[in-house]
Amino acid sequence: MSTEPVMHQHIGRVLNASTTRFTAGCRVPLSALPTFGALARVNAQGGRCQVYGMIYDIYVDDDPLVRQLASLPEPDEEIIQDQLRNRHIPVEISLLVVGHRLEGRILHSLPPQPPLSLDKVYLCDEAELVEFTSAFDYFRLVLAADQVPREELLAAHLRLAAGARGAEGRDFRVEAGRELARLLGGNLVLLDGVLRRIRP
Amino acid sequence: MAEAEDLDQWFYRPPKTDAQRLGIVVGGSLSKGLDVKLDPRSVVIEGLAVGRYVVIHGARTGRRFFGLITDIVLDNTNPLIEKTPPDTSDPFMAEVYAGTSTFGRLHVSPMLVLEEGAKEPKPVKTVPEHFSVVYTATEEDVNQVFGQEDATHFKIGEPLDMEGIPVSLDLKKFVERSSGVFGKSGTGKTFLTRMLLAGIIQQDVAVNLVFDMHNEYGWKSQGEGGYEVKGLRQLFPTGRVAVVTLDTESSRRRGSKVDFEVEIGYEQIEPEDVDMLRDLLGLTDVQANALYFLRRRLGRDWIAKLLAEDEIAEEIESIVDQGSLHPGTLGAIQRKLGIFRRFAFLKPGLETNVVQRILDHLSKGISVVIEFGRYGNSLEAYILVANFLTRRIHEEYVKRKEAALGRTADEPRPLVITIEEAHKFLDPLISRQTVFGTIARELRKYNVTLLIVDQRPSGIDEEVMSQIGTRVTCLLDNEADIRAVFSGVSGAGALREVLARLDTRQQALILGHAVPMPVVVKTRDYQSLYAALAQGDGKAPEEVLKRNKAILRGEGEFEGFD
Repeated sequence: MSTEPVMHQHIGRVLNASTTRFTAGCRVPLSALPTFGALARVNAQGGRCQVYGMIYDIYVDDDPLVRQLASLPEPDEEIIQDQLRNRHIPVEISLLVVGHRLEGRILHSLPPQPPLSLDKVYLCDEAELVEFTSAFDYFRLVLAADQVPREELLAAHLRLAAGARGAEGRDFRVEAGRELARLLGGNLVLLDGVLRRIRP
Repeated sequence: MAEAEDLDQWFYRPPKTDAQRLGIVVGGSLSKGLDVKLDPRSVVIEGLAVGRYVVIHGARTGRRFFGLITDIVLDNTNPLIEKTPPDTSDPFMAEVYAGTSTFGRLHVSPMLVLEEGAKEPKPVKTVPEHFSVVYTATEEDVNQVFGQEDATHFKIGEPLDMEGIPVSLDLKKFVERSSGVFGKSGTGKTFLTRMLLAGIIQQDVAVNLVFDMHNEYGWKSQGEGGYEVKGLRQLFPTGRVAVVTLDTESSRRRGSKVDFEVEIGYEQIEPEDVDMLRDLLGLTDVQANALYFLRRRLGRDWIAKLLAEDEIAEEIESIVDQGSLHPGTLGAIQRKLGIFRRFAFLKPGLETNVVQRILDHLSKGISVVIEFGRYGNSLEAYILVANFLTRRIHEEYVKRKEAALGRTADEPRPLVITIEEAHKFLDPLISRQTVFGTIARELRKYNVTLLIVDQRPSGIDEEVMSQIGTRVTCLLDNEADIRAVFSGVSGAGALREVLARLDTRQQALILGHAVPMPVVVKTRDYQSLYAALAQGDGKAPEEVLKRNKAILRGEGEFEGFD
């Protein structure tokens, strides 16, 4: 699979972190950037615990050179390609903490400690994504998060997780949808929004 | 293994059962019933019905609660969903919403509780705790509650939606107190009554006296479908049932095999017998009281003297001359009693005592069905005869019972008297005076009980209704009638829904003394009843075959095939 090399290489390093969310600076080329809603993992507590984050924002910042290049009428294609591959400042990925792994067990709750600066961030492969999404307790962490596009985030995430299950994807969508229906009984607008986005 | 047992102590593991899981208890109370949230995936709400049995497994005590579904509700977690329903044309959306935001709820009335390891269920005094699991009742559960068919338990039908599982009625308890069969006309009252009577005769728990107003119980009758239905005499060809008639001609025309004719002498009629007809004959209080005076003055043949047209008895003349009775009153009485002339079964100067003949049959354990023939259409004849016979038979039973208490005679056989159009006898205005009111009120004191068949239970005295032990009720839709059937029954409110939604045919709600908890049954059909009775007669099949062959060859006396 084309994503295979990415699995075992980190996609970036932690820029700042708290127990509820963290930001990573991404060094990979833009073509290999992880997608919105994907699940990533980073070590914490010196490797005793792995923190899982769901990507809720990807921010591409500018720098003076980019500004200058942008102001040129027709910049050289070579320069643009060089800029894309060797950026001065990283692409920032914001992740919402949705769980952690302690002593081998996945827990859908906040980790004891956040990851530290410059810890390596890895993208979860399909097997790990399926493992993490075999229960839905992390929905609460997503639904409780402020300043996060919850509706879009959950929908994007569930589409990825369903895709990772192949033929069983539909059953997964139904199960996830039913769990959301239980959690969002009081907010039918949000529920309907997510369900419309995840229907097969 | 030991670990698994340890875990069982802490975590409830539902018992292994082939019952279908319906849902969990989410609320409710003992008085108002329990709320059960249906399992969204496995249970189809449209597959349930009020009146069905459920069993709730108490999580921590191991108790099993038996209950009845009394209502089925569509519920939701957010009332807004009713205003803005989701787009369920998409199967995915429909699948997600069903059972989560919208779900089914049952209302269950808990009735009985079975302690862990106990055999006999007891009336419920508490409720199962939150989230106890609710299952459909299995055959084992139903048997445990109603008892299996045996010497005193008679299969009456099957619980609603539980084909092949028998519900048995404890006939011994059924005859212990007065019972009633109620229902709108055409809902199967007669069929049910015939079946109950057949059960009572077969199990030999009591002897029957049936006042068969419409000639339906004795020899044969027409079923609703137009086919012929065997009466009790044909169902028990071995002489355990006698049919007697008031109208020999009608019986002959109908091909009914009759044992003897009921004839009542004018001299045997007492003023009390006529007093019962007060309303029907339009007798005023003065006229009714005058009856007693006339009996005293005219002697035994007072009716004959009053009805004589050719020569007026001397006593009557002297009564009028003395001014003891106003001539107008006397004339009115004579005119109103004139109806007796139309009753061919009333005869002057009759010496045979029909009461004694009937009593002889009853003492031998032979049930008696009295066919009314054409007099079935005359309420006056029906009430006169029913009251005449019952009063005397009851008196005799009282005597015999008292003798038995004084240890000078054997206990009389329990007797069940079946009356139709019972509200005519048990009307609040007259029930206190009539023998039927007395029998209903005194319970089994004298071994005589009533089986009341009626379509207007609201017309029956409330005090009498409250004494009715077992109520077998087909569909009723009049509010007053439904209220009457449930008078004196605790927790009846929830059962109303069940009663109002019975099918018009072959379904009945049974509650009271003979069943441990109310039950809606699909009553058994004729075929199964015939088969059961043929088996239950205790004769070897070879013997039956031999006898039937003999009848076909013309060698045996034909009393009906077994």
